[in-house]
Amino acid sequence: MKHTSTVGKTNKAALVLLILGLSTIIFPLYMTVVIAFKQPSEMTNSISGILSLPKNWSLANFREAMEVTDFWRSLKNSLVISVLTVVLSVLIHSLMGYALGRNKAHSKFYGFVYLFIVSGMFVPFAILMMPLAKQTAELGLANWAGVIILYVVFYMPMNIMLYSGYLVNIPMALEEAARVDGASTWKTYWKIIFPIMGPMHATVAVITALAVWNDVMTPLIIMAGSGENTLPLAQLNFQSQFGTNYNLAFASYLLSLIPILIFYMVCQKQILNGVTNGAVK
Amino acid sequence: MKNDRQRTFLLITVPILALFVCFNTIPLIRGVIYSFTNFRGFGKYDWVGLRNYIDLFTDVRVGKSYLFTIKLAVVTTIVVNVISMVLALGLNSKIRAKGFFRGAYFLPNILGSLVVGYIFNYFFTYIIPALADMTGITALSKSILSSPDKAWIGVMIVCAWQAIAMNTIIYISGLQTVPEDVYEAGGLDGATGWKQFRYLTFPLIIPFFSINMVLCVKNFLMVFDQIMALTKGGPAQSTESISYLIYNNGMSGGQFGFQSTNAVVFFIVIVIISVAQMKFSGSKEEQL
Amino acid sequence: MKGKRLKCFGLALGCLAASFLDIAESLELIPTEGTYIVPYVANAAGILYNRDMFAEHGWQIPETWSELIQLCETIQGEGILPFYFGWKDIWTCLAPWNAMAVELSPSDTAKQVNRGQTTFTQEYRELAEKYLNLLDYGPGDPFAYGYNDACTAFARGEAAMYPIGSYAAPQILSVNPDLNMDSFVMPAGDNKEDRTLNSGIDLGFCVMASCENKEAAYEVLDFLLEYENMQKYIDDQNAVPCRNGEFQLASILDGMLPFIEEGNMTDYQDHYYPSEMSVDALLQTFLIQKDVDAFLANFDTSWQRYNRDIIRMVQEYEQGR
Repeated sequence: MKHTSTVGKTNKAALVLLILGLSTIIFPLYMTVVIAFKQPSEMTNSISGILSLPKNWSLANFREAMEVTDFWRSLKNSLVISVLTVVLSVLIHSLMGYALGRNKAHSKFYGFVYLFIVSGMFVPFAILMMPLAKQTAELGLANWAGVIILYVVFYMPMNIMLYSGYLVNIPMALEEAARVDGASTWKTYWKIIFPIMGPMHATVAVITALAVWNDVMTPLIIMAGSGENTLPLAQLNFQSQFGTNYNLAFASYLLSLIPILIFYMVCQKQILNGVTNGAVK
Repeated sequence: MKNDRQRTFLLITVPILALFVCFNTIPLIRGVIYSFTNFRGFGKYDWVGLRNYIDLFTDVRVGKSYLFTIKLAVVTTIVVNVISMVLALGLNSKIRAKGFFRGAYFLPNILGSLVVGYIFNYFFTYIIPALADMTGITALSKSILSSPDKAWIGVMIVCAWQAIAMNTIIYISGLQTVPEDVYEAGGLDGATGWKQFRYLTFPLIIPFFSINMVLCVKNFLMVFDQIMALTKGGPAQSTESISYLIYNNGMSGGQFGFQSTNAVVFFIVIVIISVAQMKFSGSKEEQL
Repeated sequence: MKGKRLKCFGLALGCLAASFLDIAESLELIPTEGTYIVPYVANAAGILYNRDMFAEHGWQIPETWSELIQLCETIQGEGILPFYFGWKDIWTCLAPWNAMAVELSPSDTAKQVNRGQTTFTQEYRELAEKYLNLLDYGPGDPFAYGYNDACTAFARGEAAMYPIGSYAAPQILSVNPDLNMDSFVMPAGDNKEDRTLNSGIDLGFCVMASCENKEAAYEVLDFLLEYENMQKYIDDQNAVPCRNGEFQLASILDGMLPFIEEGNMTDYQDHYYPSEMSVDALLQTFLIQKDVDAFLANFDTSWQRYNRDIIRMVQEYEQGR
């Protein structure tokens, strides 16, 4: 395993900082877990009350939350949408990032396309909502497939930016060597560039999966009428203006946190085990 | 050979660009058309020409929302980037339980906004004032979210808390592109600590720095979830962000046409800021 | 004319409470022919109070504004917090406002302003001034607490009263299912006969003209409007039925029952406010800054700005008459 390291001395300081920072995460997480196990009648406005442990560690909230959200079905929908979006994003966005990243500096056309697409990131979603709802309905895409297509388009600007940023540090010499050996550009990409971008694929996968996993708006406006729910859509059941069942909601959020956390842990190993350094040398 | 390369690039670019135009540019154009109407989001509507645009520049509420949003975005961007950079360096160095730390620091990003809103509201409303009373810091004995002057700080803290994880990941993946021999060579020249970072590490990860800057500015200029979770624009309308106005008055209110105008102008503003940013850091990259 | 459009399904419009049909009718910006909604259930807003606490201290239900203030003084004198407010959630700023407005301002204030006959500065001054008085009887920093905090605090007996609507009952009872609470109409004037209950349609049904299965839709409506089915909904939501007939209402509505039976109900003023004007946020600003003149002036200018197209439509209609 190859990774960069700073000098030994700074490590202790880093550790102390990391532990300090950790407390800002442990505390909210503790509150989330405790509330997820409590009953509504255990909720108070006093500090000792909110920090106290639940009267009993019953899984009833989790069971009920799973029932209300039709957990397994919603989970399946969320998984299908997230996985397909991530796979398509990694394939399509890396290709586009490569085409634009390698040409944008010296070609007016690619430079323009790059800026054009990256600007798409700044379109306020609110202005797209109504036209998109109409357009997907007209095209018969008011379902999970439509949601995936929209995600691939929404996250294209950010991912292209990431991929072409990564390419800056990958020397052209690698490709030129392959070209001399007679490989086509297409082949060179898949054989050499695509694998080299491993850590960036993992980064893109994490960022995209996360955004998709938590998103409410897109499925809400696109697939609300399709009879299918994603997890965040189903979780809307817990809250209204006039009352929110925080206990069930928190239990449900904890449940839906697990798959994405596992995915992240797998990916972050990838980010770390980046082959870049070895390959570039 | 050269032709093969150009043809391949073109064959990649054109279909993907077409997809993008179809689901981003065309709906955007359709949206822009509404900005010339008095559409309420339902029912009949009339063309009003440039009325919405003229109104926009005289609307005090919109003006205030721009000031608030820009202030929030600038401060949060700085805070997030400094902390993320430090964290990324820490998480990238040789320490124990690295996997655990990386997992833990990722958590703020995956807690839904209902959870984040509840917990931070509790934190600001009850816990901080109680701690302040105990320690005698009177400045903090009232919830900062109830003060029109200080509520933005609460929003800033939550935005930063959630965003740091993502920016840290991007910095970490940037640090992976720095070859180890750079440090070895630098170590011989006596570059350590701050000097090593300033002259060796940082120049090599500038592309990631600029990506993070653009993403931060974009995310914080478009801040919405945190406002909904924490303040709903209050107190005294002091935290109404631009996206909050666009959504609240355009989607759930009856100002669809006018807020489309707001969105169009806002879009142009962010594009200008970001392109300038990218041009700036692009020229920095070339200098190296 | 009324009823014509609805006679086609089993129940005639006559079975619906006239007061709610009037409310539905007056929500139209310019008069329309016919009724376009089947009001189903309504809510009621005013003041929720802790019945046990009131009984224990022998406090009486106030029937005029001065009695209310007197009561607050008494409660405060005994070291108890009279009101809880959750004004961090801006929409709750509208609850006391609406509850007092029904008594202090004409129910068609907004329409009168649209016709150019009066201003809010004129109609809302007393209301605004009285609203500020309530601040003295609430928690120290009411803008720090949200709706949920207020419900929890009231449920835990931290305050004697909470000015909000019947819709808050489920949330309050979820925290403390044993809480013995009731409600009363919020008095805002000096004459107890002037009081009227603040109530509006919570749920109503429409059938679209283009609906292809009208008969089926009517069948669903007939089913929903059957007594036992309505009773079920009412029990679950503490709601007020919009249908005439014998219903068992939730005990938290006991104090409002005489008004409901008489049909002495007036719609929320905020149902006439355009939501994009964010009157709730204006009210929160007003309660923080406590400047009556600035608030009323801002109300009038904002109203003209946000209602421009509606005012033009109304005035064109008036001229055409």
